[in-house]
Amino acid sequence: MIEAGKTSATATAARLPAARVGIGGPVGSGKTALVERLIPALAARGVDLAVITNDLVTAEDAERIRRSGLIDPARVSAVEAGACPHTVIREDPTLNIEAADELERRFPGVELILLESGGDNLASTFSRDLTDFWMFVIDVGGGGDIPRKRGPGVVRCDLLVINKTDLAPHVGVDLELMHAQALAVRDGRPVLLTNCRSGEGIDAVVAMLESQVLFRA
Amino acid sequence: MLRLHGIVGHETDTSLRAQLHALEHRGAIELLFVPPEEAGRKRFRLISDRGTDCAVSLGRDEELRDGALLHLDRERAIVVRFGRQRLWKLRPADETAALKLGWHAGNLHWRVRFEAGCLVVLIDGPLADYRARLADLLSDGSVTEIAYD
Repeated sequence: MIEAGKTSATATAARLPAARVGIGGPVGSGKTALVERLIPALAARGVDLAVITNDLVTAEDAERIRRSGLIDPARVSAVEAGACPHTVIREDPTLNIEAADELERRFPGVELILLESGGDNLASTFSRDLTDFWMFVIDVGGGGDIPRKRGPGVVRCDLLVINKTDLAPHVGVDLELMHAQALAVRDGRPVLLTNCRSGEGIDAVVAMLESQVLFRA
Repeated sequence: MLRLHGIVGHETDTSLRAQLHALEHRGAIELLFVPPEEAGRKRFRLISDRGTDCAVSLGRDEELRDGALLHLDRERAIVVRFGRQRLWKLRPADETAALKLGWHAGNLHWRVRFEAGCLVVLIDGPLADYRARLADLLSDGSVTEIAYD
């Protein structure tokens, strides 16, 4: 137990297990782009960070992040699912749990591990054994009707992110309506809008992680 | 915000009985209601019944239980209370229906228990969403709803 009044994140980080945050969503929705935006935003707030990426049979997303220059490449681990991506984040998350444990052993004091799932479908969800909090990323290019389809990923995640908001007028999506329908199917639970190309909306995602996961505010 | 890490005991621990009894007399036991479907979380933030903002994390090998003590000192104790788990009890009409019902439950990753010829589904969301998945089996009488509680 940590007594009230001794709650600074930096003071507690060295003694506590790292928070594990999942990022799932359909292929091409912008999961890796979100990770690339979150890394510098979290680093700027002094968050000690590591990343795990999941791909089908390659380490392509991990290599992309390692080469980005945003983070020490040693802090990026790759898991190859070899099958449907949800199998290693839900049915048997052992590979990802081991990867996260290994990062915590190698980097004592790491506060937050982002686990990016391989691109999947709307039914993809994360096991609570693996993550403390998980986000589901969809994008307007996939269609404004995605929230109405009530996929388990859309409905059950802790935070739904609607990405590529800048594309809405070009693909005939009423973004305001899509946002409202997303809130409705989630009974008002959080839905945030982002444009990961420009960085718009990223601060709100980081603020939610600071409040609900890192307990900084 | 009260930052809490780890489970410090259980409300039934005999070694803590006297201390908890004294706190109870002073009205200093706070309850933290955790929805059953969230019981697997290792990190969460909830408000206690006395209004305390609790930021809770657990060790990876710790499992939250009803009655778990998350905080105990001279001033107060904070005890976990699980909200009631809702159960949906279903009876298949025959072996064929049972196979179909089992296939659906497994394919949909439902949490289930088995009870004397019945499948008991531990409900994690609106019942209507569950009924919709079995609409055909329910409408043709292959599966009968026995109870929802």
